[in-house]
Amino acid sequence: MSDPLEVDEPRYCGYTEYVDGPEAEELPNTGAGATGIEGAVWDAVASVEDPEMPVSVVELGLVYGVGVTETDGRTEATVRMTLTYTGCPAREMLTGDVREAAASVDGVDAARVELVWSPPWNLSMVSETGRESLREFGVSI
Amino acid sequence: MLAPDDLAEHERAAVETELRTLADDQFVAAERYIDWQVRGPTLEADIAVANIAQDEYGHARLWYDLLERLGYEEAELLWERPPDAFRHATLLELDYAPGDWADCVLRGYLYDTFEKLHLESLEGTSYPPIADRLEKVQGEEAYHREHTQSWLDRLTEGGEVPAAPREGGEAARNASDEPVRRLQAALDRLYPHALTLFEPTEAEQSILETGVRTRSLADLREDWLAVTTPFLEGLGLTVPEPSLPDVRGRDGSHTDDWESLYDELTYTYELLGREPAKLMAPPDEVEG
Repeated sequence: MSDPLEVDEPRYCGYTEYVDGPEAEELPNTGAGATGIEGAVWDAVASVEDPEMPVSVVELGLVYGVGVTETDGRTEATVRMTLTYTGCPAREMLTGDVREAAASVDGVDAARVELVWSPPWNLSMVSETGRESLREFGVSI
Repeated sequence: MLAPDDLAEHERAAVETELRTLADDQFVAAERYIDWQVRGPTLEADIAVANIAQDEYGHARLWYDLLERLGYEEAELLWERPPDAFRHATLLELDYAPGDWADCVLRGYLYDTFEKLHLESLEGTSYPPIADRLEKVQGEEAYHREHTQSWLDRLTEGGEVPAAPREGGEAARNASDEPVRRLQAALDRLYPHALTLFEPTEAEQSILETGVRTRSLADLREDWLAVTTPFLEGLGLTVPEPSLPDVRGRDGSHTDDWESLYDELTYTYELLGREPAKLMAPPDEVEG
């Protein structure tokens, strides 16, 4: 049996079902190049910070994707995100803040957050900007 | 693959039962770990155990989330659930004798070794939502094993029990025997309860037939024995003969320790008259 401490080939989850948004995305994703409402949602979500450290959840690499769909003239934004660890006590707070940020965007009628766990978040998903913010704060990364 | 929105009755029962045992094990493990808050033998150990407990709560939450998706509310799953409807192994509910750190690390080792094998047997699950969150859980579990194993090695100095009195006479010999003596006492007490980890529920056949889990609990037990027996013997301990306690855990029968723990953890909820917390976001706004 392989020990999770030994990392060889990544094992990808064979199940992906996305109701909204892109089928798959390159991670980490910071929404670079996103335009229109999707871009605005990324910008809004980027303003949400980790409750313990002054770094954006987008720069931390927690936001895996943003999808915008229109049904019967109603625009719904979906943010797909994860958490740094399963026991994160700020789960309700973060997902709530992200949902509110997405909902605040002009042109968005409703927003929802989809909490996902694949692929598992790890430190390599933190952007360079994120790393700088963390280092300034005193976290060595 | 099983479709979460379109489960046949027996498939649903299999998924639900497996999720309950997963979730209940983690939840009760966490509840007992926090008995050690502010009481750990060192600051580092205290923090480590708090972290492990937090992880276990997180894992429990991930599995309870999937049960919520099957239509249950949190109160039904925990706070208002009758104590004999819980499916965790009795190992996890046992009280600690005050200061019995040997129990804490040994119990952790026995459970974490089971969990590793259990989670691995879920890697090929036919139920995608379980597969989806496995890797995250497994990554965190690795730290738990590091913790318990390193403590066990440390307590037994790598397993060297002196064959003859050392220089310094009886006092020296007894000093190094003490951890082994305590660990042996803990092992004798915990072992039968550890074996309840492998007690099948009434859905075991179904769980295997539907492919929710790829290996039987009986097979996992063999693997677990093959790992734990040499390790414990290598520490200088004697592994007891397999035997089971009167209560089995997964069938809803539990020790009196569970009654007390259950009363403790539901105390505040009951005191508040079973009113849901006012600050909770409406369930349809957050998917998890």
